[in-house]
Amino acid sequence: MESASRKEKPKQRDTSTRGDRAKQKTAQQELKHRQRAEIYALNKVMTELEQQQFEAFCKRMQSKGE
Amino acid sequence: MLRSTASVGGDAEREEEQEDEGDEDLRDGGVPFFVNRSGLPLNAETWDRMWRHVGRIHPEGDAVAKRIRGAIDLPKIPIPSVPTYQPSTTTSIPQRLEAIQRYIRDLQYNHTGTQFFEIKKSRPLTALMDIAKEMIKEALPIKCLEAVILGIYLTNNMPTVERFPLSFKTQFSGSQFRHIVLGIHSGGRFGALGISRREDLMYKPLEFKTLAELVAEYQGAYQGYWHTLRKVKIGQYVSHDPHSVEQIEWKHSVLDVDKLSKEELRRELERHTRDMRLKIGKAAPSSPTKDRKTGSPLRNPGSPMRRNSRSDRRPSGDKKSMEPKPPSDLNGYQIRV
Repeated sequence: MESASRKEKPKQRDTSTRGDRAKQKTAQQELKHRQRAEIYALNKVMTELEQQQFEAFCKRMQSKGE
Repeated sequence: MLRSTASVGGDAEREEEQEDEGDEDLRDGGVPFFVNRSGLPLNAETWDRMWRHVGRIHPEGDAVAKRIRGAIDLPKIPIPSVPTYQPSTTTSIPQRLEAIQRYIRDLQYNHTGTQFFEIKKSRPLTALMDIAKEMIKEALPIKCLEAVILGIYLTNNMPTVERFPLSFKTQFSGSQFRHIVLGIHSGGRFGALGISRREDLMYKPLEFKTLAELVAEYQGAYQGYWHTLRKVKIGQYVSHDPHSVEQIEWKHSVLDVDKLSKEELRRELERHTRDMRLKIGKAAPSSPTKDRKTGSPLRNPGSPMRRNSRSDRRPSGDKKSMEPKPPSDLNGYQIRV
C-alpha cells in the first residue's frame, strides 16, 4: 500500500510539472501574439511618421532649389 | 532627431569590427537603434526600452505607447505565407524571386527603432539559417540585414540562382549610412532582393547584364535621396547548403567609389564577377553531416584572396571631380535608407 502511494506521488508531480510547463508555454505564446500585434501597430505609426518627415523634407529641398 | 554620439577617426577600426558583427545598425545614420538580444517574446527590459525609445523620437512622445500598449482593438495582422513551389511547376526564376520579394515586403520594414532578430555576421551559415527560420515563424518587421539572411534562406532551393551580399556606404549631410541587399546572379543576369525604407533601394529584377549596371542602378537611386555613394562592398557567392558551417564572405571586394573613375569601377566589378564565378578565395569547408560540393568548382584554392586595394591600383589619369557638397539637412531630419 505504502509503495503504491509512493509511486503515485512522483506521478502526480510529473503531471503537475507538465501542466505548469504547458501553461507557461501557452502564456509565452499569448505574450508573443500580443507583442506582435503591438509591434505592428507601432510600426504603422512610425512608418507614417517617417513618410511625413520624408515628404516634408523633400518639399523643403525642392523649394530651396527653386 | 537624436544623433549618434559615436566618435570618428580613431574609432574607424572599431566601427569596421562592429560592422562585421552586424552592429552597424546601432548607428543608423546617426540615429540610435537597439537590437533585441532577449529572444522572443521580448523580455520586459527590452520591451520597455523599445517604448521609451519611441517616446523620445516621436513628436507625440509617450502618447503613442499609451494608445497602443494594452489596447484591446488592435488589428490582427495575418502571418504572410512563405512562397513554395513543387518541383513539377514551371514557375520561372524571376517569378519565384518576385514572390520571395513580396513575402519579404509583407513582413514590412521595421521602423520601430528596435531590431527584433540579432544577426552576427561572423556566425556560420547554419546558425544564420536558423535565425531565418525564426524570422519566418515569428513574422515580425525586419531591416535590411535580416532581409538578406531571409533571402538566402528562401533561395537555397534554387541551385541555379547565385546569391552574394552587396552593401553600400553612403554619406548624407555629414552622416554615414550603411545598407545591404542580397545580390542575385542567374541566367547571365543580375538583380537583388532586400528591404529598405526606399522602394528603389531594395528589390531589383533579374534584368541587369553586369554587376556594374546593378551597382549603377543603386547609385542613381541614392542620388534621388541626396545620398552620395562612398563605398561598395561585395561578397562571394553564398553556399546553398543550409547546414554549411562556413561563414558568409561579406566583403571580398571593397570599392572606394570616391577614388575610382567610372571605368575603373566597371573593371573592378567585372573582376569581382569573375572572382565570384571562379570562387577565388578561401576554400569553403563542407558541412559536417553532408559531404556537399559547392555549386561552382573551386579554382586555385591556394591562391590568396584577391581584394581591391588602393596600393594595387594605378593612379588614374583622370581624377574624379569632387562630388558637390550635399545639401544641408533642414530641421535635423536625415534621409535614412
